Amino acid sequence: MRYGAGANAVTALERIDLSVDRNEFVTIVGPSGCGKSTLLYLVGGFLAPSAGELLFEGAPIRGPGPERGIVFQRYSLFPWLTVAGNIAFGLEERGMRAAERERVVAEHIRLVHLEGFADRYPRELSGGMQQRVAIAQTLACQPAVLLMDEPFGALDAQTRRILQDELRRIWRRDTKTVLFVTHDVEEAVALGTRIVVMAARPGRIKEIATRDFEVREGEELEANPAFVALKLRIWRSVKEEVDAARSAGIPL
Amino acid sequence: MTTPRRTWLGPLASVAPLLIVLAAWQLASAAGALPKAVLPALTDVAKALAALIGSGEIFPHTLASLARAGIGLAVAVVVGIALGIAMARMRVVRLAFEPFLLLIYPVPKPALIPLFMIWLGIGDFSKIAVIALGCLLPVVTAAFNGARSVDEVLLWSARARGVSERRLLWRVVLPATLPQIATGVRTALAISIIILVSSEFLSSQEGLGYLISSYGGVGADDSMLAVVIYLAAIGYALDRLYLAALRRFMSWHAFAH
Repeated sequence: MRYGAGANAVTALERIDLSVDRNEFVTIVGPSGCGKSTLLYLVGGFLAPSAGELLFEGAPIRGPGPERGIVFQRYSLFPWLTVAGNIAFGLEERGMRAAERERVVAEHIRLVHLEGFADRYPRELSGGMQQRVAIAQTLACQPAVLLMDEPFGALDAQTRRILQDELRRIWRRDTKTVLFVTHDVEEAVALGTRIVVMAARPGRIKEIATRDFEVREGEELEANPAFVALKLRIWRSVKEEVDAARSAGIPL
Repeated sequence: MTTPRRTWLGPLASVAPLLIVLAAWQLASAAGALPKAVLPALTDVAKALAALIGSGEIFPHTLASLARAGIGLAVAVVVGIALGIAMARMRVVRLAFEPFLLLIYPVPKPALIPLFMIWLGIGDFSKIAVIALGCLLPVVTAAFNGARSVDEVLLWSARARGVSERRLLWRVVLPATLPQIATGVRTALAISIIILVSSEFLSSQEGLGYLISSYGGVGADDSMLAVVIYLAAIGYALDRLYLAALRRFMSWHAFAH
């Protein structure tokens, strides 16, 4: 994946080879500028690759589609629609009938614990609540894959923990395929069953780790030796990339 | 979000400077320091205003004026939104219209009134056309800038939820641009009244601008000023009403005052 033309072109991603199985929760972690969001946007179909191929269930990806739902970091809700209106957005587009729509919207409001906020507008909600709506909005469309671009990156640590737990609960219940980009190593290990570490300039996959133990909702992660060990391993791997970038004179 | 302090001092403080000037005006007239030929006494202006309203004389003129300004503004809003968004979305439309808009922009619109009268006659049509032209610019500019600056995340989000390129305009671009359009229309509302009065000065048998110029022509300065004050009050009321309507019907957006 290259940006720009001629001498000014920047290679954002190079030789990425990654396949994700159904029901996997794959997290992608790496230093800023490693192209992890770019990779997600390629899968989302918002960007087209300059070389190579992206396949979804065997067919090439051409543009965005409702089978690949996306949750952005922030400001992705439609400010002129209420919580219910935002969740119904994709359903209306699909031509779902009003009664059915209302049922699905109510179900997803319950799923993300936003009962009583159906008629609020996004600007009346906290950052954490807005991300709950964004997740509900995406899940309501029943995507086969959930793409998440640092969805909890703008939230405070407490809220982030809570939403991580809820996302894991939802994933376990619905067994969705999730591709989750983050710069937070702990988040990557706490959520991902597979953790992809990326290196920067050009962005490429450095290593892929598998988490072979379970993480439970509400668990004290710091008290789990297996978790701490894996987190440290990934952390060192990411830090190597950060140091490499700094010694190459690239400011962070 | 802050809660405004609601004390008796609040509303009083906001009109205090106005009251002081009015009091000074009246005192100066009463003391004889301000000759009638320069400025009639405030009480005389108030009496004239009461007479204009009491006799009902002013209302047909108000109606005629508001109709002209309203139609001109409405035309500008419809054309302006369509043109502004089309310019933002289609390069060819932008290339075709931008030079004309830039050219019209610095021209004082009332200066075009005589020309419009030659083309469209001295009746309502030419007045409405000049009002529409003057109101068009702030609406086009607002719609254009708004439609161009729609957050890409919203467009991506909509496309990922199954919205086609064609429907993107209705589902995202237009609603996302509404707050800026609303602000542009508010500017246009004020401009419509300015151009309205100018156009009624020139040739008119009724309307508030006509009243001002005809009273001024016969030296009835108190009645002339009364109409000016009446016009200011109407302009102010319309602006407040518009803003209140926005806050009521577009409560999803936080409008500044």
